[in-house]
Amino acid sequence: MGGSGGYGTVIPVTAEVFPGTGLFGRAAAAFADSIPVDPADDGFFGPGSVAWRLHADLSAPVGGLRSLLLQALHPLALAGVDQHSQWRGDPAGRFASTAAYVLTTTYGDRAAATAAADRVRKIHQRVRGTDPVTGKPYAASDPALLIWVHAAQVESNLAAAARYGLALTRAEQDRYVAEMTAVAELVGVPAAGLAEGGAPASVAELDAYLAAVRPSLATSQSTADTATYLIGMPDIEPELADAYAVLATAAVASLPGWARDMYGFGADGKPRPGTGRDPVPPEREAVRQVLGVLDAVYLGEPGVLEARQRLALRMRAAGQARTR
Amino acid sequence: MRLAARGGARYAANAPRLFAAAGERRQQLRDDLALRTAQDVADTLGTMKGVLMKIGQLASYVDDSLAPPARRVLSRLQDSVPPMSPELAAGVIEEELGATPERIFKEWDPLPIAAASIGQVHRAITADGQAVAVKVQYPGIAETITADLGNVALIRSLLKMAAPSQDVTALIEELRERISEELDYVREAEHQRLFAAYFDGHPTARVPKIIDELSTARVITSELAAGARYGEMLGWPQQEKDLAAETIYRFTFRSLYGLRAFNGDPHPGNYLFEPGGRVTFLDFGLVKHFTHDELEPLVHMIEALCLHDDPEGFRRAMEEADFIEPGAPIPTQDVVAHMSLFYDSIRERGPRAMTREYSSAVARRYVDFKNPLAAYAKIPRPYVILQRINLGIFAILGEMNATADWRGVSEEIWPFVQAPPSTPLGEAEGPWLASRDTRSRSD
Repeated sequence: MGGSGGYGTVIPVTAEVFPGTGLFGRAAAAFADSIPVDPADDGFFGPGSVAWRLHADLSAPVGGLRSLLLQALHPLALAGVDQHSQWRGDPAGRFASTAAYVLTTTYGDRAAATAAADRVRKIHQRVRGTDPVTGKPYAASDPALLIWVHAAQVESNLAAAARYGLALTRAEQDRYVAEMTAVAELVGVPAAGLAEGGAPASVAELDAYLAAVRPSLATSQSTADTATYLIGMPDIEPELADAYAVLATAAVASLPGWARDMYGFGADGKPRPGTGRDPVPPEREAVRQVLGVLDAVYLGEPGVLEARQRLALRMRAAGQARTR
Repeated sequence: MRLAARGGARYAANAPRLFAAAGERRQQLRDDLALRTAQDVADTLGTMKGVLMKIGQLASYVDDSLAPPARRVLSRLQDSVPPMSPELAAGVIEEELGATPERIFKEWDPLPIAAASIGQVHRAITADGQAVAVKVQYPGIAETITADLGNVALIRSLLKMAAPSQDVTALIEELRERISEELDYVREAEHQRLFAAYFDGHPTARVPKIIDELSTARVITSELAAGARYGEMLGWPQQEKDLAAETIYRFTFRSLYGLRAFNGDPHPGNYLFEPGGRVTFLDFGLVKHFTHDELEPLVHMIEALCLHDDPEGFRRAMEEADFIEPGAPIPTQDVVAHMSLFYDSIRERGPRAMTREYSSAVARRYVDFKNPLAAYAKIPRPYVILQRINLGIFAILGEMNATADWRGVSEEIWPFVQAPPSTPLGEAEGPWLASRDTRSRSD
């Protein structure tokens, strides 16, 4: 796409501001490494699950980016990331490790998923402090924050798929939300109903939760920095910058209206210039075509096709077992 | 079904090898990855992936001209397409021909023998006992690719990424048109009929005949051809390779000057070889027809450079065809020096070897946009595919290390020379040429 440098070319200004680069290649490597070659079991979801289908869907990158944008609207969740992780120093590294975490907990066997979650819990124990914006204390292991991050991810994956990917029935969407409580519990969300402090377990609960949490959300310079990075993505390979821009627009356009308003974005996913024209959200087919191109490039990265085939074979086998 | 499968297996044991390079890779994929539904086809080849593969195939004159990451992506993309399941392929046959393959054919091999870019090839035996190759198009692929071809802006940026050194403006419309045509098997069958009729009776060039009643928009049934694959033929004695190369050369330029048509896919997988220089030409999905006016400047260029040693005339012919801007501030001797490499093999009589070095040099010269001439040169749309074919033929003959008196052979074929036979193969063409003359007189 745009840009003329070769793969891995570092844009000088990027190197100064954000030392990490090669986002796409790192995400692809995370994918290839996270899909087990010889799993001991089917993990917490299994090949017949909605989660397996959804997390391998063409819309998954949009869902992932939308998750991060939504999650950053919670000041305490953002403070934890901003003050403790390598986010500012190596955002692409943080991006790739988040992707690896989601993929391992989805497709890894139970031992691998549990080990990944244990590592995150251990890190979370050290992540505590005071949010400079709200002055409130926070702890990453706080179940309320864990549920926020979890719910934002689950809702984002559903929203991205609804606009740009897999058509799920309401029953399948409910099943997905219920399935995903398993990973929430792995990182420390109580295994309880929503009212008792657990994760939402249906679409209705998810919606109720998001409505309830909205008063706690706010933006700050830190939110703006995060959005600038996520949407401008200086770490993307130069050839893929144009395609990434479409992905980012799609992610923003698929945010709930109130979240777009908080960021100052229009329904078209672009900053609101106040031209008075009705913003037009990006079309499904056009977005899917760009996602398809990105997917093709993804397949060209080492190990990705093989990992895909490992997954496809297991999902096929599960499908056949179901219909038999 | 089981009976047919057994019959197919027995038949396969004696059958000619028809595995394309891509086909072999596909065979290695586990059967359980096979495309089982039209949705699987859309997931695998939709959202630009099928278009990307076609663009890669068409935009790469030779592999050298693609940026390495693009080459890697395309090769992996090809690997990612498994064959259709036997049931899915049978479903297409049923929709197109009105009954299951087992009813239509006396024998039907449910396993594909080769991968076509947007379909796959099955062997079968017709009710009257003829062995045939049945090309079956992926269900829904035409709609998917047509929709994706509508995204011109995206295709333009993809072309820039895949082949940064090429002028994409002329490429893009031509590619869209050629790819759309390739989706239409009715048109492909027409092309094949045209070539089959033209080369009917040729001593060494063979085009399988179309079985009309078993061919539709998504199915092409033709005679089953026998022969060795390109890779195997490369291991044959040089003398045999030279003969095969001469047939490819004669086929290419006889069709250009005789039919004003070029088979646009000089892919090694589209040839089957037999000893004595016999070559069967497969796959007519990408045929470019030329008008008399489009061919005329090419003829003038050859005449000026190769027959009359007239550099100014050569330059005028290039300008006439819009290859270079009139009045470009480049000395004519530089224009000739730059272009003459393309004519190296036909500038003088006598045996010349096509080598891989030569074909690479030609390809490099072709994409050399640093040359001062480049600012004033372009490839007008009618010649976009022609140039690709030209370079493709050079690459194939170069790989074969083929030696012949290319100028002598060309003079036989050039309608503005019509020299007598210069090689034994040329002699053998005599009766075919004579019968062609009779036929064209009786037309």
